[in-house]
Amino acid sequence: MKLISTFFAAAIVVATLSSCEKEPTSTDGDFQIEMEYVWAMSGAPFTMNTMLHHPMTGDSLKFTTFKHYLSNVKLHHVDGTVWEAEESYHLVDLSDPNSLVLDFTGVPAGEYTSLEITFGVDSLRNVSGVQTGALDPANNMFWSWNSGYIMIKAEGESPNSPTGAFAYHLGGFTGPDATVLTKELTFPSGELLEITPDGAPVVHTLANPAKLFHTQGTVGNEPMVHAPGTTAGIMASDFNQGVYIDHVHL
Amino acid sequence: MFSLNTVRLAAILFAASSLFSCTAEWGSNKSWSKGLKPTHFPGSSYAFDPDTLDKSTVELGRALFYDNILSSDSSISCGTCHSQTHAFAGHGTALSAGVDGRLGTRNTPGLSNLAWHESYMLDGGINHLELVPIAPITSKVEMNLPLSEALMRLNTSSYRDRFKKVFGADTINTKLLMKVLTAFELTLVSADAKYDAVLLGEATFTVEEALGEELFMARCASCHVPPLFSEYTYANNGLELYSTDGGRARITLNATDSGSFKIPSLRNAELTYPYMHDGSLYTLDAVLEHYSTGIKDSPNLDPRIEGPMEFTSQEKSALIAFIKTLTDHSLLTNPNLGEP
Repeated sequence: MKLISTFFAAAIVVATLSSCEKEPTSTDGDFQIEMEYVWAMSGAPFTMNTMLHHPMTGDSLKFTTFKHYLSNVKLHHVDGTVWEAEESYHLVDLSDPNSLVLDFTGVPAGEYTSLEITFGVDSLRNVSGVQTGALDPANNMFWSWNSGYIMIKAEGESPNSPTGAFAYHLGGFTGPDATVLTKELTFPSGELLEITPDGAPVVHTLANPAKLFHTQGTVGNEPMVHAPGTTAGIMASDFNQGVYIDHVHL
Repeated sequence: MFSLNTVRLAAILFAASSLFSCTAEWGSNKSWSKGLKPTHFPGSSYAFDPDTLDKSTVELGRALFYDNILSSDSSISCGTCHSQTHAFAGHGTALSAGVDGRLGTRNTPGLSNLAWHESYMLDGGINHLELVPIAPITSKVEMNLPLSEALMRLNTSSYRDRFKKVFGADTINTKLLMKVLTAFELTLVSADAKYDAVLLGEATFTVEEALGEELFMARCASCHVPPLFSEYTYANNGLELYSTDGGRARITLNATDSGSFKIPSLRNAELTYPYMHDGSLYTLDAVLEHYSTGIKDSPNLDPRIEGPMEFTSQEKSALIAFIKTLTDHSLLTNPNLGEP
């Protein structure tokens, strides 16, 4: 018992020390990620509540809901160290412009080679009970009957669906059909991201909801997905793989 | 889920805290006064953490468990379908009615010894006890209340002050709501049946009960493992040749799990009728008849019940006599677990 107490006390001291190290200093800087969405090859902005043509499947699609999770944002420093954002869970909702800009503070000044993002919610938070903030189950991005987050929710209307509607609730955090992808995004032309105490660069990422159907094809194939499985795995992977950094505003 | 050390530490802390807590506060219930973690039970998946099980937290959970505020039309509570007099199973109906009389698809299971489960619901789809209440509260055929609405109701009711007193928080969020419900559910410990008294050397079985126990240990205990009478794993018990309810397979997406459901504990089985995931068997006799002659040769049939059991009527009576020793009257009557 005494040994355990000592261990716990030591752990607390260590945790306190390491959190002290993360205190912002004058050499820390900020940056933002601004999520932008385009539709298909055209490069035109993706618009909600508008009938869009999918050049590959021929479908007409009107999105009324598009939300997805990002988590565990990290920056890889040129010296090989990694900065991790604390409690980094973000629900991006295309109906809420404020949710498209993610703010990060307290990053040590320096040059960074890449931005790491986990698309979806890491498996640990899917098995750790009720969470708060972006991960609050009250956000309707959590399955009550099969514990786990809906990583991507896309709903809308399409004349190509037998029901006239589509609803893709893509989730699943383990196994071959997992819908979570951790990706290290590099900056265009091999540039470095420079964090300084004065500036606040904005990293513009581009995502393309049309890619959901890249492998899956027409919504007519399976207009409703409400559980983990092969379809969810494929659709989420196609969308997540397609996200890249378009440019950085200093 | 928790490291052994964490569980041990929590057990020690809990034991220490029980020394200072006043037994009378909890009434004279024997089960509670012995501490929530029975000495003759194996280690639990959830620690009986004294902070989690703080009396005011548990009391808030109990109030909400029995409050209709958590159903869309304020007609039912958790306790409507999880009845204390039936060991927190349904009121003898195959399927329970939610709001507007909407029927669910599976029999309401009894609630007890939840800290020993590793996953919840008959298909094991829920991976954490704290997440369990979200399913019945939000299900269209149960309480039909979106979480955002539940929180809005609670935050505009007297619960807001009650939560503030306990947690110091200005608003009730999902985490706090589920924390209190979980705390109450963890107190639904059933370990005070005649069986337990016999195990602890405080009582003896009748001749028939002893015969029943012997049969049970030989023929039933590989699935219904004492002392919890289940290890809460999943099995296909041959109820149907091809199951109309995928059961565990809905969660694992593995076809060989089709028709598999959580093996229920037999504690308080005398009162949790009807039986099976669909509530299709109404009596213990019918259940034993199923295992005697009624097992369907499902491709996913659990190998432990491949041989027919062919119980004689005398054996059935003895088994039922033994199963009745698992009825825990303190769970059924403890006022701390009833409607406040």
